[in-house]
Amino acid sequence: MVNVTLDGKKIQVEEGTTILQAADKLDVKIPTLCYHPLLDPYAACRVCVVEASVKGKTDLVTSCNTKVLEGMEVKTASERALKARKLNVEMLMAQAPAAEPVKEIAKELGITKTRFEIKDPNEKCILCGLCVRTCTDVVGAEAISFIERGKDRTVAPPFNEPSEACIGCTACAYFCPTQAIVFEDKYGREIIHDELHLGPVTAIRVPIRQAVPMVPFIDKDACIHFKTEQCKLCEKVCEPEAINHAMEDEVMEIDVGSIIIATGYDIFDAKKNAVYGYGRLDNVLSGLDFERLCNAGGPTGGNILLKDGRKPESVAILHCVGSRDRNYNEWCSRVCCMYAMKFAHLVREKTGAKVHEFYIDIRAFGKGYEEFYNRLMEEDVIFIRGKGAEVTDVAETPEEEGKLVVVCEDTLLGLVRRVPVDMVLLGNGLEPRRDADEIARKFNIGCSHEGFFLERHPKLGPVHTASDGIFLAGACQGPKDIPDTVAQAGAAASEAMAMADRGTFELEPITSFINEELCGACKTCVALCPYTAITFDEEKNVSVVEEALCKGCGTCVAACPAGAATQHGFDDEEMFAEIEGALSVV
Amino acid sequence: MEEKEKAYRLHLMVCAGTGCVSNHAFEIKGALEKEIKKQSLENEVLVVTTGCNGFCERGPLLVVQPGNIFYQQLTEKDIPHLVEEHFLKGRPVQKLMYTPPKEKTPIPVLSDIDFFKGQVLIALRNRGLIDPEKIEEYIARDGYTAMAKALNEMTPEGIIEEIKKSGLRGRGGAGFPTGVKWEYVRNAPSTNGGVKYLVCNGDEGDPGAFMDRSILEADPHSVIEGMVIGAKAIGASEGFVYVRNEYPLALSRLNLALKQAREYGLLGKDILGSGFNFDIKVHRGAGAFVCGEETALLHSLEGRLGEPRPRPPYPAEKGLRDQPTCINNVETWANVPVIISRGANWYSSIGTKTSKGTKVFSLVGKINNTGLVEVPMGISLKEIIYNIGGGIPEGKEFKAVQTGGPSGGCIPKEKIDLPIDFESLTEAGSMMGSGGMVVMDEDTCMVDVARYFLSFTQDESCGKCTPCREGTKAMLSILTRITEGKGTEGDLVLLRDLAESIKDSALCGLGNTAPNPVLTTMQYFMEEYETHIKDKKCPARVCRQLNTYIVDENTCVKDGRGCDLCKRNCATDAILGEKGKAHRVVQEKCIKCGVCYDVCNFNAVKIE
Repeated sequence: MVNVTLDGKKIQVEEGTTILQAADKLDVKIPTLCYHPLLDPYAACRVCVVEASVKGKTDLVTSCNTKVLEGMEVKTASERALKARKLNVEMLMAQAPAAEPVKEIAKELGITKTRFEIKDPNEKCILCGLCVRTCTDVVGAEAISFIERGKDRTVAPPFNEPSEACIGCTACAYFCPTQAIVFEDKYGREIIHDELHLGPVTAIRVPIRQAVPMVPFIDKDACIHFKTEQCKLCEKVCEPEAINHAMEDEVMEIDVGSIIIATGYDIFDAKKNAVYGYGRLDNVLSGLDFERLCNAGGPTGGNILLKDGRKPESVAILHCVGSRDRNYNEWCSRVCCMYAMKFAHLVREKTGAKVHEFYIDIRAFGKGYEEFYNRLMEEDVIFIRGKGAEVTDVAETPEEEGKLVVVCEDTLLGLVRRVPVDMVLLGNGLEPRRDADEIARKFNIGCSHEGFFLERHPKLGPVHTASDGIFLAGACQGPKDIPDTVAQAGAAASEAMAMADRGTFELEPITSFINEELCGACKTCVALCPYTAITFDEEKNVSVVEEALCKGCGTCVAACPAGAATQHGFDDEEMFAEIEGALSVV
Repeated sequence: MEEKEKAYRLHLMVCAGTGCVSNHAFEIKGALEKEIKKQSLENEVLVVTTGCNGFCERGPLLVVQPGNIFYQQLTEKDIPHLVEEHFLKGRPVQKLMYTPPKEKTPIPVLSDIDFFKGQVLIALRNRGLIDPEKIEEYIARDGYTAMAKALNEMTPEGIIEEIKKSGLRGRGGAGFPTGVKWEYVRNAPSTNGGVKYLVCNGDEGDPGAFMDRSILEADPHSVIEGMVIGAKAIGASEGFVYVRNEYPLALSRLNLALKQAREYGLLGKDILGSGFNFDIKVHRGAGAFVCGEETALLHSLEGRLGEPRPRPPYPAEKGLRDQPTCINNVETWANVPVIISRGANWYSSIGTKTSKGTKVFSLVGKINNTGLVEVPMGISLKEIIYNIGGGIPEGKEFKAVQTGGPSGGCIPKEKIDLPIDFESLTEAGSMMGSGGMVVMDEDTCMVDVARYFLSFTQDESCGKCTPCREGTKAMLSILTRITEGKGTEGDLVLLRDLAESIKDSALCGLGNTAPNPVLTTMQYFMEEYETHIKDKKCPARVCRQLNTYIVDENTCVKDGRGCDLCKRNCATDAILGEKGKAHRVVQEKCIKCGVCYDVCNFNAVKIE
């Protein structure tokens, strides 16, 4: 430990502490510009100069990099230090007149204007080198550096041309204290932190605010470390040392007795239906976008705002986007009417904007739903019966100028209407997951013609599948709202428990078997079995049927060229006996 | 080898330093050889090229040994006569000898010339005596004996002790005790298995300073020998010489010397059977002045941007590739072998109490004997300027001397008796620097001098820290304003504030010392600043924007008959008049370029 006196106050700090860190402990503020706690000190701006005396020798030193010594006496605002600091700030005011942090420090120091020549009144860069150090020491891309020297010094990529070495991480802009760095997408290369509309802004995040468990993860696609093998700033700042970049995804094999498939749904991609302008027009949001926008943990803190930051004055909500539509999905997605009406309620409540709902018919079935519909009408939401036909920003009248216009046929009035609004929310429908086929194959279950997983029986086995021990829950089986999903999931769980509790399950009475003596090892049956119940025994060189999996469909029996596959109760002898029995009556 | 076995009657030492080479020294050498052959003297007379002799003003130079006869300002035409008269007939040619200004009799012998008389040669001990491209000649002058002694008879601690005792201080400018630095490096822990480095700083950049170049050109082996001794002392096995690429001759001679030393087993593995390994690499600098600063030099050596970093940690602790590194200047290394071979006591008997030994100065500017001189510390400015330097040309009055290059300051004539050592120069507001000495006479404007040096530092500032980058720019613009007659009295206050603040708060030596020319000229020549600002006049007539050019009509007609030369040369037609009649300057049109003043053959154009 080292004893230091700072502005008359005594403090004991660890050896190796800088004057700036010691001052921070005492709440003594020393202005800095080129300093950042996560980077090595650079000591270039010379704004943090203080007077330090050790053993009778007094010097002006930069507090960011000077380590305290035993018995050191520091004066952070002595006349000598202030004189140098003020002049340096005044010179920086002339060099980068548009740099806000310089202006702030100048104000604190009582400097109102600079006496030095201003070359460019819009200059923001103070040449503090934070960007260069970030790119070199943190990111490891070395895409920018200082070029020229002295008064001509600037920050630039090699040859002052957009650099191939730049990975577009925007870390330099993040560290830049004066917003002097602007990004331009030159090579169509993604700029990591700007990639998603309403999307993530950093590589480390909690998936959503309501996530369980509430644990942040590192997005490998956005993390600088996985691009350049450097950075690891998060490791530096994480006090419990909880971050480990070396961790890999693991594939684990677990033996289980039953499986509940709850893979959910995809929402209809509204870009497929270009008439709604999703992805093309600003302020046309999908249902999920809007959920994120009005989430308290979202980018606006839950405020419903337009892209330019204004509050919308009118909002249109379009039902049946991608649902009940022969061009896309014919089914009703069940949940959209209700969530669209929830949106209407939220918009009314949060912004007071005028809300138009464009619907084919309102499907507010069941307990409490119809009442909600009625309540909305009391909240002055305007319901227009007619499917939205188009969303456009091409104005035909002065009122439509600068607005989005929703075109529809109002089937109650029998009119084609154009409704100008500020924001359009789409009631995207529900679709099977894009990889539902693959999952179905993996688990030996079927899909209905829409692509949702097929239950064993709509009424008698709604959570069962054709494969025993495999159950369905939620929207993977068909569009469902949350209460229905929870109910079905409960049922699936109890079925799974019941099976586990029994410890046994009943086999189908009719299953196939292979006559080992006849099997020609052609493996035809292995490929054909829809339930992957047949495997090939390499040792015995014959196909084998797993009775627990066999559903007795008879495919193998029909296909076996050697006549080795037979079904219990349906072998030739039994069949002939049955025929004889039937004919004996005659 | 053949040359060695032969004995010659005469050795003709042709100076082949950069100054003489650009004065056609090699042509002189060719002409000499041709003429010697013609006279069939090739078995009696040998022509040798040597490094810089120092008396650059008088080049190309030739010294005839034995006899030490000094010939100067030779031309190819002089050679046949010289060879016939002197080398054949034995009659030295008087008209090619050096005659001091204001005297009539030439001085035939080099050691009798004032320029050489006052000098004490340690770092330049071999100048003019050996061919720098032949290691045998260096060895013949006891070269590498000090290294042998250090490697085989001395311990590293012993070497350090000897250097400490000698009182040798770094010749690069700051004057840090060399032995102490070596001890630091020796004791500093290396994080890389004991790897330590040794660097020779040959990035000489001060305007008007050329001693490092001269040493490398005249005696590269002395630097190599010094470095090996240093390497043994600090425990380094790898060394670097950082030389600017603008020194092609120094580079080629250094590379040749390294090659020869390796061939002789004086560098590389197991040097002289001592078991000590050390080798040297040459790194060419791209000519940025700031790379003379040790931390910037190390950055440049590592292949990074040549900009300084804050110290501590000093390179002795964390230098090249983060390992302890000893950096010394060329001249310092060249001093080391002499100290080891002749002993610390001998060395410390030369010089003053705090500054031991000798220092090489490059004497330039308004002085008769421009050149390189090595003098003992403590010698007065007066002795250097008047005795060795031969005084000011054309009988002009001495005004000031600028020492230490752009980092140094101007010392006025009142302080001409100042004994030169590190402390006294610093006290006078200047510094030793690398040893540049620019002499100024009464025709020099001190404001303009300050402006010139500021324009240099402004240009050479790396731009890393605010005070140096922005401050030198601001100071230069104020000084330019003053020299253009636009200065105000407030400017002087701001200029002083800036100078003091930059000196106090800049990051590296370049910035810390950049205000010195301003501060010293303000200290000693304040009245000149005031005249520029208040009277809008430049007393030395240097700042043209403050001059008023007029034609003295009487002189114009009387002596010049109205030659019209000024009118014809005036770029803005500001001069009226006809041939045969008096001319006149129209002040409104005059842009004060001074061409009329320069072209007038009759001194009819006057400055008011």
